[in-house]
Amino acid sequence: MQVWTKLFAKSPFKPLIKHAEVVLETVETLERALELWYDKKYQEMEKIAVEVDNLEDIADRIKEEIRDSLTTKLFMPVNRNDILEYLHMQDKIADAAEDTAKWLLIKRPKEIPEDIKEIILKMGKESIKAAKLVHTAIVQMDTVIESGFSEKEIEKEYEFIKEIESVENKIDGLDTKLMKLVFENEDKLSWGDGFYILNIARTLSNISDKAKDAAERIRLMMNK
Amino acid sequence: MFTDPWLLVTIAVGLFMAWAIGANDAANSMSTAVGAGAITPKQAVIIAGVLEFTGAYFFGKSVTETIRKGIINPSQITDPTVLIYGSIAALLAAALWLLIATKFGLPVSTTHSIVGGVIGYGIVYAGMGIVNWGKIAQVVASWILSPIFGAIMAFVVFKAISKTILQSSTPVKSAKNYSPIWIGLAFVVIGAMFYIKVMHGKSLLIALRCGVLAGFIAFLISFVILRRNFRTADPYIGVEAIFKRVQVLTSAYVALSHGANDVANAIGPVAAVYAVATTGLAGMKVPVPRWILAMGGLGIAVGVATYGYKVMETVGKKITELTNTRGFSIDFSAATVVLIASWLGLPISTTHTVVGAVIGVGLARGVKAINKNIVKDIIISWFVTVPVAALVSGIIFKILMVM
Repeated sequence: MQVWTKLFAKSPFKPLIKHAEVVLETVETLERALELWYDKKYQEMEKIAVEVDNLEDIADRIKEEIRDSLTTKLFMPVNRNDILEYLHMQDKIADAAEDTAKWLLIKRPKEIPEDIKEIILKMGKESIKAAKLVHTAIVQMDTVIESGFSEKEIEKEYEFIKEIESVENKIDGLDTKLMKLVFENEDKLSWGDGFYILNIARTLSNISDKAKDAAERIRLMMNK
Repeated sequence: MFTDPWLLVTIAVGLFMAWAIGANDAANSMSTAVGAGAITPKQAVIIAGVLEFTGAYFFGKSVTETIRKGIINPSQITDPTVLIYGSIAALLAAALWLLIATKFGLPVSTTHSIVGGVIGYGIVYAGMGIVNWGKIAQVVASWILSPIFGAIMAFVVFKAISKTILQSSTPVKSAKNYSPIWIGLAFVVIGAMFYIKVMHGKSLLIALRCGVLAGFIAFLISFVILRRNFRTADPYIGVEAIFKRVQVLTSAYVALSHGANDVANAIGPVAAVYAVATTGLAGMKVPVPRWILAMGGLGIAVGVATYGYKVMETVGKKITELTNTRGFSIDFSAATVVLIASWLGLPISTTHTVVGAVIGVGLARGVKAINKNIVKDIIISWFVTVPVAALVSGIIFKILMVM
């Protein structure tokens, strides 16, 4: 009796968008934590950083659900492996945010030079941009399918992908600048603080790295 | 003439079959429109009720074979009671199989159910020799042809819609301009069928002219109606809103073509028994009185209203992934293939065509996810239909003969 309800499986794109929303929230929460960290409000910062961890858990759960539903038995307009790989990358964005939060929780630093702190804050802000763009890109992928793979919509999607790549590039530049600054200030920083800062920067730049990888997968989805 | 109690039994069983066709098949054919949110289950029941009846009564075959699709050799049946018992057995088996399939959610073909039923009693009566294996080959061919025609047509229709409407720079405007053409095309087919079936015209040229005239009128009317504003932020939602309206019409188109094509499965055997009861043993073909066609149409309509309603209600709640442009492509293609095929005399099954059309849209990258294993289940059920219906019919026939 319900053959049509069984024949049409649930679209994987709605849950993918949901997942992207949670990932974005994770990155936004991390940025809030970074701002508190910048203002040296460590106690509040630690509370928010724990929240990042919780959000990452939620993203993980959604990821598992999507994976379970994407069996080989589905016939879809895009390659199943591309979707799974994309999901993996999108989830890594949240993982990277969680890694940064972990490093923020590991210790309360002594004096850190203002310019270093500013770069870290900037990296956090740019990471939100990357996560927002990933969300926009997956929503746009849904539109691309809705439009019957219209050239116009594919063009728009390429624009988003390019933007993600340029954000990644920018964060890469900030990361390099920061590393240099840390070594320029090696006399003022303790060994521990230097290690701590470098790891925060590394995990932060990971966020946009993974965003770029996710964007790369969307490119493949359209080219099936 | 109604003194023969077996005739009354046949009529009752025929009504039961018509009811089962309405409950399973008609509901399935209209489910895409309900699933895409173009019509509510209640509207579907009204549209299906009226148009299945119209299709059956006006477009249904006025002459039917004594034996459905000539699947067994009627000249080997010398005893009229065999034809009567056989028809009852075949109808009963087919209707029961349809009900079982409905229960398990499998869209099986009503045509193949009744063909299976006829083979069943034929073999029990006269052995394998009575079966017209060439005709069986035709039925097997239709398992393959129906979904393939449905898929090709739907693939082309969806590609055409996405090229002309979805991919244009102003999708909503294009939808307003192009969808009346699709409506017009549907009416070309309906108009031509009206000339051939209702006015019993023979000339293909006049049929085409009738069709083009009907199509043109439908084009103008829908063009004017769709001038209304469909303003939305997202152009694709605007397009879907327009196709939502168009789909109301195509769902009627599906119901009409289904009624025209499938009513024979319920009333063919009844007409055969009626001919035997009134004029003695009949030949290869018997006329179908209008009242029997009406009865078939009514049975289907009641089937839709009673059980089909439930089917469509569930479907309406569950398929939200199907958008109107996709639903339209499926409906339009299936109905057109069925109407043209029934005119050409090709053995086409509505159900198989609709399923094929869904896959066709999927191949055009139009559907976000189709369950491949359900497609497999459906195809298996198609192969099982004939043998199961044959077996059940054979058993019922044996019991009737012993009694």
